[in-house]
Amino acid sequence: MKFLRMTLVAALRALRRNKMRSALTILGIVIGVAAVITTVGLGQGASEAVQSQIRSLGTNLLVVVPGTRTRGGAHSGWGGASTLSVMDARALEREATGIRAVSYIRRGSAQVLYGNSNWRTTIQATTPSYLDVSDSAMAQGDFFDERDMKNGARVAVLGGTLVGQLFEVGEDPIGAVLRIKEASFRVIGVLESKGGSSFGSDRDDLLLVPFTTGERRILGATLPGVVEQIIVSARTETSAHEASLEIEDILRQRHRIRPDQENDFTVHSQEEIANTMGSVTRILSSVLMGVASISLLVGGIGIMNILLVSVIERTREIGIRMAVGAKGSHILVQFLVEAMILSMIGGIIGIILGLVGTQVIAHFAEIPFVFSPGAIVGAVLFSGSVGIFFGFYPARKASNLDPIASLRYE
Amino acid sequence: MTPLIETHGLVKEFARGDIRVLALRGISVSIERGEFVAIVGKSGSGKSTFMNILGCLDRPSEGKFVLEGQDVARLSKDERAELRGQKIGFVFQAFNLIPRTSAQENVELPLIYSGASRAEQARRARESLERLGLGGRTEHHPSQLSGGEQQRVAIARALVNHPQLLLADEPTGNLDTRTSLEIMKILMQLNRAEGLTVILVTHEPEIAAFADRVLTFKDGEIVSDEMGSSGEGVLPASLLGEKEGKDS
Ligand SMILES: Nc1ncnc2c1ncn2[C@@H]1O[C@H](COP(=O)(O)OP(=O)(O)OP(=O)(O)O)[C@@H](O)[C@H]1O
Ligand SMILES: [Mg+2]
Repeated sequence: MKFLRMTLVAALRALRRNKMRSALTILGIVIGVAAVITTVGLGQGASEAVQSQIRSLGTNLLVVVPGTRTRGGAHSGWGGASTLSVMDARALEREATGIRAVSYIRRGSAQVLYGNSNWRTTIQATTPSYLDVSDSAMAQGDFFDERDMKNGARVAVLGGTLVGQLFEVGEDPIGAVLRIKEASFRVIGVLESKGGSSFGSDRDDLLLVPFTTGERRILGATLPGVVEQIIVSARTETSAHEASLEIEDILRQRHRIRPDQENDFTVHSQEEIANTMGSVTRILSSVLMGVASISLLVGGIGIMNILLVSVIERTREIGIRMAVGAKGSHILVQFLVEAMILSMIGGIIGIILGLVGTQVIAHFAEIPFVFSPGAIVGAVLFSGSVGIFFGFYPARKASNLDPIASLRYE
Repeated sequence: MTPLIETHGLVKEFARGDIRVLALRGISVSIERGEFVAIVGKSGSGKSTFMNILGCLDRPSEGKFVLEGQDVARLSKDERAELRGQKIGFVFQAFNLIPRTSAQENVELPLIYSGASRAEQARRARESLERLGLGGRTEHHPSQLSGGEQQRVAIARALVNHPQLLLADEPTGNLDTRTSLEIMKILMQLNRAEGLTVILVTHEPEIAAFADRVLTFKDGEIVSDEMGSSGEGVLPASLLGEKEGKDS
């Protein structure tokens, strides 16, 4: 112990003799560790963000879209008539037992006018059950009901962004009359904000109308009864998978698909969406992690390089130390301690910079800042072991020097 | 009592590629405690090689080296390091102080490896420096000291662990005559007053004249082993007084 403390003092002294060199070596480690901390932090933050967005889509959710799934997960098969219809949705509602509620939508975009304001937004024609199925809630007023649906009532429910664009602050949108494609619509409700943006798209920038009304007045009825998505809410989260199998059965029958033919529709589950997004962020963060680790590796090689130079430069000193009684192990420990001091100082500064960097980037990228003590402990241990790992070879070299040759070294 | 040093047929062979050099060809010698021995001989006669073996820095190819009754060839590398730290002090021609490190820290060096406490290290190093008249130079770095002062720091370092044996390979080789005599006076005082065994290599007869015994090397062999002149006729009278006092 006494020797260790002495070695620590000696190592600090040796490092102080070459301040600039020590500082540059430390800088290498600082950059490496900061990069690792930042990428780990941002990776965790990003996946947290993705997960919470997916959760906010509503649990037990299954989405049926037309088209066959290709290997990459994209869809084809929009050609010809769209393969999903209102009749399909009704059939699912009637026949599938694992289903709690069914909704369907068609979307388009249109200019919405109110007074002197106008705003281009997404028009979504849907059913009264949409509110429930999509796990949305009303901030103000009511959602449209079955009667509005049957009558093709010209009523609209607005998303928060649209309210902000069309109305003055403090103005009550309920009861206001908007004009869309020459038709007038009465505002009956405002949706509660979904918040955040899902990869750039604002989920509050939309206007909802009853499906029948939307089809007739806004989106055009060249293909009546065709829907873009059928949204299904399974009875429980665990039954989502069975429900999706049921949906597949029913739709294959209805679409008269022979056993050797592929589906002309695709059922997406919440879980699947979460997995896809999760794996995308995982891949991304491990790629970044890899790059960051390389910079830490480069920092480690910097330590090794500096120590090798230092061993050669101090050959004579090593010889002197051996002549006055230093064992090989003393010399080994001395150089290892120097390596560890360099890497630990670099590690600590790197952690601080990394945390600050993560917070700054997380702030601007609007992802949550995840503080993980594990990553910090890991980084300290890792940078310490980088020191030992890269310091070992030079230290070994020093401890194996021949005292006589070292004393003669010029 | 066994002699401090006993060697039996020491042979040292260096292989430089295909060429083999016999640096020592069978050295048998015995040195008692308290002796002051000078080793002289032409360049390349094997003096330094012999000193390195005595200092446990090197091992003979053949033969036996016994230090205080202990066969050094039997010891491990670490045990030899310990022996160097505890029983042997080295003084080199090139001083061999660690650069950019104070005299105090240089002298503390052997104590670090023998496990003295921090306070004891500082105290003993200071004492050792004071004994060599360097009490006012403890914080000086080697580059801020004269050659003679540097060699005195080196001697202070060699003595700080109270060794039995001081090995000095041409300690005055880099110093002028006046400073050389100063260093020799110090070594002689240590030998006379404290019974320290001193073995030194030199090329200069005036330096060898300080010793009680002179070993002459030639081609790796001892060709003469004589009692020296004990410095008569070379040393100033002031130095001789002390010496004769002990002899009588
Ligand atoms: N490491 C070595 N490898 C090969 N040959 C060596 C080695 N060390 C010494 N020698 C050879 O051994 C012989 C004796 O060398 P040594 O250094 O002992 O001589 P020396 O008497 O001290 O000479 P000098 O008075 O010049 O210091 C020389 O021929 C030298 O070349
Ligand atoms: Mg020599």
